[in-house]
Amino acid sequence: MKVSYNWIQDYLDFPLPPVDELVKKIGAQLGAVESVTDLGVQYKGNIIAKIVSCEPLEGSDHLNVCLIDDGGAAKDVERNSDGLVQVVCGAPNARAGILVAWLPPGATVPSTVGKNPYVLEARKLRGAMSNGMLASPKELAIGDSHEGILEIDYEVLPGADFAETYKLNDYIIDIENKMFTHRPDCFGQLGVAREIAGILGKPFTSPEWYRQPQQNLTTYGSELKLAVKNEVPELVPRFMALAISNVEIGPSSVWMQTFLNRVGIRPINNIVDVTNYYMMLTGQPLHAYDYDKVRALDGGDTATLVARKPRDSERLTLLNGKTIDPRQDAILIATETTPVGLGGVMGGADTEVSDDTKNIILECATFDMYSIRRTSMAHGIFSDAVTRFNKGQSPLQNPAVLLQAAHDMVTGTAEYASNVIDIHNLPDGTAGRGSLHPTVSVTTEYINSRLGLSLNAEEMTQLLKNVECSVDTDGDTLHITTPFWRTDIELREDIVEEVGRLFGFDSLPLQLPHRTVTPIVADPLLQTKSLIRTVLSGFGANEALTYSFVHGKLLEATGQDGSLAFRLNNALSPDLQYYRISLLPSLLDKVHANIKNGYDEFALFELGKGHTTLHQDDDADGLPKEFDMLAFVYSAHDKLKKQGAAFYQAKHYAESLLAELGIAVTVEPIDEMPDVPIVKPYAQQRAGYVYEAESREFLGIIGELAPAIRRHLKLPAHTAGFELHLEPITRLMNSVKRYQPLSRYPSVEQDICLRVTVAQPYGELLTLVRDTLQTHVPSEAVFDLQPVDVYAREDDSEHKQVTFRVRVTHYARTLTDKEVTGLLDRVAEAAAENFSATRI
Amino acid sequence: MPYAHARISEAADVLKARLNDLAVKSDIFKAVELKALYDELKVLPTEQKAAFGQEVNALRGELTELVAAAQDPETELASIDVTAPFATNAPTNDRPRLLPAEHGSTHPLMTEITTIVDIFGRMGFAAVESREIDDDHHMFNTLNFPEGHPARDDYDTFTTEQKDKNGKSFIAPAHTSIMQHRILKAGREGLENGTPIASVMPGRVFRNEDLDATHEHTFYQLEGVYVDKGVHAGMLMATLQTFLSTYYGQDLKTKTQPFYFPFTEPSFEFAIERPAQLRKDDSEEQQWLELVGCGMIHPNVLRHAGIDPEIYTGFAFGFGIERLVMMKYGIEDIRHFESARLDFLRQFA
Repeated sequence: MKVSYNWIQDYLDFPLPPVDELVKKIGAQLGAVESVTDLGVQYKGNIIAKIVSCEPLEGSDHLNVCLIDDGGAAKDVERNSDGLVQVVCGAPNARAGILVAWLPPGATVPSTVGKNPYVLEARKLRGAMSNGMLASPKELAIGDSHEGILEIDYEVLPGADFAETYKLNDYIIDIENKMFTHRPDCFGQLGVAREIAGILGKPFTSPEWYRQPQQNLTTYGSELKLAVKNEVPELVPRFMALAISNVEIGPSSVWMQTFLNRVGIRPINNIVDVTNYYMMLTGQPLHAYDYDKVRALDGGDTATLVARKPRDSERLTLLNGKTIDPRQDAILIATETTPVGLGGVMGGADTEVSDDTKNIILECATFDMYSIRRTSMAHGIFSDAVTRFNKGQSPLQNPAVLLQAAHDMVTGTAEYASNVIDIHNLPDGTAGRGSLHPTVSVTTEYINSRLGLSLNAEEMTQLLKNVECSVDTDGDTLHITTPFWRTDIELREDIVEEVGRLFGFDSLPLQLPHRTVTPIVADPLLQTKSLIRTVLSGFGANEALTYSFVHGKLLEATGQDGSLAFRLNNALSPDLQYYRISLLPSLLDKVHANIKNGYDEFALFELGKGHTTLHQDDDADGLPKEFDMLAFVYSAHDKLKKQGAAFYQAKHYAESLLAELGIAVTVEPIDEMPDVPIVKPYAQQRAGYVYEAESREFLGIIGELAPAIRRHLKLPAHTAGFELHLEPITRLMNSVKRYQPLSRYPSVEQDICLRVTVAQPYGELLTLVRDTLQTHVPSEAVFDLQPVDVYAREDDSEHKQVTFRVRVTHYARTLTDKEVTGLLDRVAEAAAENFSATRI
Repeated sequence: MPYAHARISEAADVLKARLNDLAVKSDIFKAVELKALYDELKVLPTEQKAAFGQEVNALRGELTELVAAAQDPETELASIDVTAPFATNAPTNDRPRLLPAEHGSTHPLMTEITTIVDIFGRMGFAAVESREIDDDHHMFNTLNFPEGHPARDDYDTFTTEQKDKNGKSFIAPAHTSIMQHRILKAGREGLENGTPIASVMPGRVFRNEDLDATHEHTFYQLEGVYVDKGVHAGMLMATLQTFLSTYYGQDLKTKTQPFYFPFTEPSFEFAIERPAQLRKDDSEEQQWLELVGCGMIHPNVLRHAGIDPEIYTGFAFGFGIERLVMMKYGIEDIRHFESARLDFLRQFA
């Protein structure tokens, strides 16, 4: 929202503080200021001069030599004996007697300031000296016109400063629109002026025409027949219109043009400019139609405007030249036969006010903000009217704005030509009390306790009255009736906001909440994640984060069915089309780039969430279940010539991590690949399920990757990973380490080597050895069991030899080697019996 | 393939045998034996060149095929015993081992969230993680965004093709405020027994925004709520100031500017004085850090969660994590965070 410092000053009866101070104040109490533009810099040294004579330049078909009177204002410029300055000018409208804007040598062409500055000088054109130039509206950056020079239409003596004359020594303060999402009144200069008075602690009074508009609407005129019908009262709470005859279309006054232009509106003609001027002043959009074009569409003697929904296959060409098929629920403005505008969004091209327009219809309506928003989005039209209507303009300000705009149009030959038509569907009671919402009653205590203040009723009343709220006090209770333009004050909390903001939130006394000494409850999941981070980073792994959204190709490559993943309607790119089902594929996707970047051996892990449509409504509120996961990948460059399977590296990481978390696990082969997305990326012959050892609860999968993934992601041969579910881990986690009391007696350590078939799983053998030791170890003794070696002889492809180291400790006496040998004999017997093992 | 020339035949046997032992199979093309054959080719009499050259090229072709075959990931992997602790015949000096601890690192964003959650923990705020997929109800309805309200446009949300039980698309949360309603509902009973609701909710959020050095479509936020009897706006400011001063380890000035959120009334943006070490110059814009969107919880939001706004009041706040971390370390590009580049990650070892 662009705010003109000079424009708002016009509505205030006290001088504004300097712009820097004002901007700080606005930032603290109104909203973020995006930029401040010093307009005066643009017009430095521009002088209003009078053309005294204008003669064709010899040898040129269009240039004239002008002698101008600048009242002696310019310094250091060549003058003739009469004190006049010579300027060569090619504009067709240059002629003696008119006042013009002169840019003397040394001045910069305003339209080039801040871009590619063009500084004027005295130089010869076709042999004639030209001191600076006479400027067009375009060069002065106040309009698009470049056909001729600007003609000053203001009674002023030659030599007057151009910027001062038009109040262009101005600052444009751009306030973030978002601030005013619930403040439609602040989309006009008037509303902002009122707010600024309020935050400066000064009372504001709206102009009479706005505050108390003429109520009698039937005495205006009758020359032109005008009818209005509203078929969608729920979408158009108010529709006002009147006709004006015998208008003379031409450019607006320079004054009007400069004001529109500085707040970002392109001047068009004296009718359209007035509608825009009042929109920029009050926030209420207006629209002007060519009366005769509207009437001609129906062929009768009456111009009729109907607010309704579009009919099948109706089309409309808009002012911007675009032809649209209006969306089914749009608000269409039509004659009896033909669409003429997209209500509240943009007018139609066929009934536009143009140079030959004689009679006009002026419309001032209110449209449903939600409907406007949807129509604007559906057709991609973001006009100034949309910006205002989609905030929900008050339907109580239409009479004031319509009548004042019409008043400004009825000049010269123009006359009121119809009564004011006012069709409205206002909420009950609003018209009577002149306010959109019922009076809000609130105590000072209610307000103070929510702000931490101790203001009295009088102080609060003053703050609210400054912005034209009507306040009755009754002891410590305030009864507040808001003015008709305020749509946002409905609840007592809204009054709290209003008082707090006008008082200044920065001035509130700071006070921390009181709290009890009850300890907070730590979240188990956050604790698990934190511990995993500490452990894995201590293990030399690097925590990574990757996007929650993945490419369909990654899912495909990792064997995951895309239809099991949530798919975005509006993805930024195919790379981010699906919610990932599990995390491992995203990590695998990052391996190659790191290898290429010179990292030969590394481990990455990520803690995050996976989602699948298989569990679309398994969480609370029927939401998709969020699977908290830990994914891990280990990879080594081929050049490191790693032997053996990478699987064991990943397994070592998983087991070491889980051991740190106090969870003992077993890893078991996958007999048949299940049709479960999380398992899909793995190579069956080199992957295993992870179970908690006691409860056999499923925790996750460890493994090397399937061929298609290795190929697609260019993974080194020695790569493996795992993915674990955090929910069971969090539940099973045990931070208390298992402690073994120390014995006063020495331990005895012996190895046992068992030859078994190649196919014999190590895990089964380990369990048997452990169980046998457990059964036969002396009652007051404990043992420890470690793998030493798994060895297959080159000359025996049928068998492997597994060596364990057994360490036995007794708490009551010294053990003998013989006792331990006997124990191991039992182990050998059991192994022979169960697995046909031979002791070596 | 039989080779007519003895020297080529010998070289072929040597090279094929060696290929089995090479970790980087393509290194075979750098073998001196192969180079020797090409050198020989250059000095051969012209009439012998063609035949010899053809065979050298044939050998090269054969090696190329063998290398490709050896590298083909389609090659079925031999089955292993997944219950074993290491590979059969793995030498004791080449068994699975953990990487050096000094290379390990936690992600800077996660480290920062831990630090922040810890400070709030000391201040009495419990932490719980935010969701990554949610519904329209929690994203908008419970937060007092009416259906079709233009304020919804300020959040460029991603939506899914899949629909919830009300026929509405699921939403990738655009702010951690999605957790407000849940926390309020969960804390209502305690509140009635005299325990204030005091929670922070870190989490990942998503905006449909194009990527550049300062904009990510995926980023982290932390939401906070506090509800009790007699909570006022001065407490909100004091809480944020205390947190930020603790975080930066120094007392800092603060300022607020009014803002608009449908779920708070009044709403603010809370700024603190930028710590001197983080200022680039003395300009006004370098003086302040606008960090926290906040406000007093809107009565409709409390009411939605079954909390009587006549009795209880509260405040809520939310801020992004990336900016804090970028400023702290001078990180130049927000895209590094989710890049999983070791160049980046290992700097936080």
